[in-house]
Amino acid sequence: MMNRCAGAPRGALTHYVRHRVSWLLCGTLLCGLALVPFPGAAAELKTWSGGPAPAFDLAALDGRPYRLAGLRGSVVLINFWATWCAPCREEMPSIQRLTQRLAGRPFVALVINLDEPETRIRKFLSETSLDLTVLLDPGRQAAKAWNARILPASFVVGPDGVIRYSVVGEIDWNDEQVAKRISELLPARR
Amino acid sequence: MDRREFLKSGTAVPAAAALYGLPGLAMGAAPSEWRVFEVTAEVEVLQPAGVTRVWLPVPLTSDTDYQKGLGNSWRADGGDVAFSQETKYSLGIVGAEFPASAKTPRLALVSRFATRDRAVDLSARGRTAPEAPAVLKLNLQPTELLPTDGIVRDTAREITRGATSDVQKARAIYEWVVENTFRDPKVRGCGWGDIKTMLETRNFGGKCGDLNALFVGLARAAGVPARDVYGVRVAPSMLGYKSLGAGTEVISKAQHCRAEFYAQGIGWVPVDPADVRKVVLEEPPGKLALNHEKVVAARKRLFGSWEMNWLAYNYAHDVRFPGSTGPAVPYFMYPNGETKNGRLDQLDPGSFKYTLSARELKLA
Repeated sequence: MMNRCAGAPRGALTHYVRHRVSWLLCGTLLCGLALVPFPGAAAELKTWSGGPAPAFDLAALDGRPYRLAGLRGSVVLINFWATWCAPCREEMPSIQRLTQRLAGRPFVALVINLDEPETRIRKFLSETSLDLTVLLDPGRQAAKAWNARILPASFVVGPDGVIRYSVVGEIDWNDEQVAKRISELLPARR
Repeated sequence: MDRREFLKSGTAVPAAAALYGLPGLAMGAAPSEWRVFEVTAEVEVLQPAGVTRVWLPVPLTSDTDYQKGLGNSWRADGGDVAFSQETKYSLGIVGAEFPASAKTPRLALVSRFATRDRAVDLSARGRTAPEAPAVLKLNLQPTELLPTDGIVRDTAREITRGATSDVQKARAIYEWVVENTFRDPKVRGCGWGDIKTMLETRNFGGKCGDLNALFVGLARAAGVPARDVYGVRVAPSMLGYKSLGAGTEVISKAQHCRAEFYAQGIGWVPVDPADVRKVVLEEPPGKLALNHEKVVAARKRLFGSWEMNWLAYNYAHDVRFPGSTGPAVPYFMYPNGETKNGRLDQLDPGSFKYTLSARELKLA
């Protein structure tokens, strides 16, 4: 029986995520794709029904350590990406915009790079002016634990440390509906 | 090809090995350096009708000591895309479904992976962790086109008579396949591996999907766990074999399957008798004798090692595609698709259409 599975942490292989995207392919290139997003691309968060969130203990690009367990109380967006992944690159500005939208709230976005050289990551960040917390995953141990084989793969973890949503493929994180669903996970303001 | 020539083949191995210099693939040699490749599959269904579906394989979803997946990303034009996997076969499928309104259904998949040459020291026991019993059991079972009873079982018994160990049995089957089969260039694609018919008709012509399936089916029938490994060549051979590599970055027709068997105490052992027959037929100037030095060297090397200028997709047999009510395919090595008019011709990239390309990456 085929498991329809996307980005499912181990032990949750029956989980299935579907994602609708619209793109225009521009030309046929042998050494890479020249692809332009189609206006109005739609995406949706899928309610998580898989297993518990795998722990990770990773260093950020600036050397600071990040443990998932240490982020209890915050909503955590975990996004697996690589510089060579075109949909990842095009998605990342929306992660930054969501971060800005939720500034001051207990929300953390962690973008976990799949085992690329730091020099390449820094170059990408400098070229794009992105200001995101990039975690390094040498050996892709975290990616394996989260079964992030298709990029981008994202998970939204609630303040209680439980995965609430997942999506495989790119999504507009700053879309009103997406931001609303994430905001609903945030602890009430006191 | 003169069968008697086949039987002379064992004599020139040391000379050939020295001539072609196979330091990276000598038995027990240290693994080569990892190389990183990017393979891009681009599909455009030229004649959509009704709901159109496309499926593409991704690299092995479980890492091995010779291949590691570095990630995949997709792009689709107006379709629903999903990733499915079947862990027992290390099978991953990116599937896209396009509505009837889609004028030009397109799906692109970029996969990155690291690979290094693979060689197993057949004299070194106990260096690898034992395989899970369920995996061994799976790889002893018959499939739709690989029965393990009847003529397959009888032939396997005959070939392996007197052999006691897994390696001895596999070696006997390997040599039998090399000596009794031939590569038939007229076979479309890689052949579907209907081994019962091959044995019944004594027609042993085919390509990798036939010849290596014959090895796998006979090995299973002899009680040796074995499996086909389906993939595609991504780079030229660095061992001097023009016939065993991809000559260009476009690899739309470079699909190739290999085989491996499991030896107790040793682990999974790579083999590729089909490529020996490919060297015989295609290595310049062509139609080489089995005792030609290049054939002898390949025959020795391809029992226990693979040059990893090749991407392994999966081990799957009898694959059913998600969302399709169509028939299972014997294996999943080519892009596949269907419209309301039925399955597209997976062996015809030009009319389907699809393009596969590969490039090696220099990672700084």
